[in-house]
Amino acid sequence: MSTPLDLDLYLPAIAAGEVEAFAAFLVGAEAPLRRALGSFASTVDVEAVVQETFLRVWQVAPRLVPDGKPQALLRFCHRCARNLCISETRRRSRADLQAAALLAQLEEDELASLAPEAAPDPLLRVALAHCRDRLPKKPQAALESRLEATGDVPDATLAERLGMTLNTFLQNFTRARRLLAECLRKAGVDHPLLGDAP
Amino acid sequence: MKTSPQDRELLIAQATTAHRTRDAEGNVQLHPAWLDLDAEGRALAHARTLELRALEAAAAHDGLTSTARAVLARIRATQPR
Repeated sequence: MSTPLDLDLYLPAIAAGEVEAFAAFLVGAEAPLRRALGSFASTVDVEAVVQETFLRVWQVAPRLVPDGKPQALLRFCHRCARNLCISETRRRSRADLQAAALLAQLEEDELASLAPEAAPDPLLRVALAHCRDRLPKKPQAALESRLEATGDVPDATLAERLGMTLNTFLQNFTRARRLLAECLRKAGVDHPLLGDAP
Repeated sequence: MKTSPQDRELLIAQATTAHRTRDAEGNVQLHPAWLDLDAEGRALAHARTLELRALEAAAAHDGLTSTARAVLARIRATQPR
């Protein structure tokens, strides 16, 4: 198995304020960070935490002093995200101390899963293009609008642009996701994230 | 009040978007649909989001997901011109 790329490679450029270097870091860091926060998924909105974490890390990166071990920046992201999760859990949960203590015990497991993401499999990209082309028109439009969205447009606006109500947009999007997963499985794509039932 | 399976699916679909509003201080806010889900629904929304972001990364020439684009747009918007 190949050694994962150390994302600290990008740290000097990030510290110098180069947004493109931070973009390259995000390509490798987002998926492992999101996966590592899975134990918090029922108590905090992980998407919000991931975005808030990256925004904070961008701000403090110029002052970050690596500890000499690999993946210092990714580990720093993880620590920042965990702290946000625990704060949010305490704020929302009545059994705050018990819940936070339980979640704190999971840190070692999370760190074990914190390997940077490799570049997307080219075969997945080809299969994805093949399956997207075969989706029915409306589900395809809903899926494409989400895939092309930059995250700053709410679903209600995406739906309006397609001439759909929000509920119709979401139904089409859900159908597209299911059909896409089925098609990818039939195409022989063995992706661990495609094991989810409809 | 118990949510129907159909409504639950729609809430999960909504929660998987990278769109999040911000408060007056610029902090990222949780999605209202996520708030309306039970624990099982939230866990499922997390799993679906992982799946979707992997597909977004695979589909994009630069490997960036909608989450990464949202973060980068925010950073660029706050940078001095």
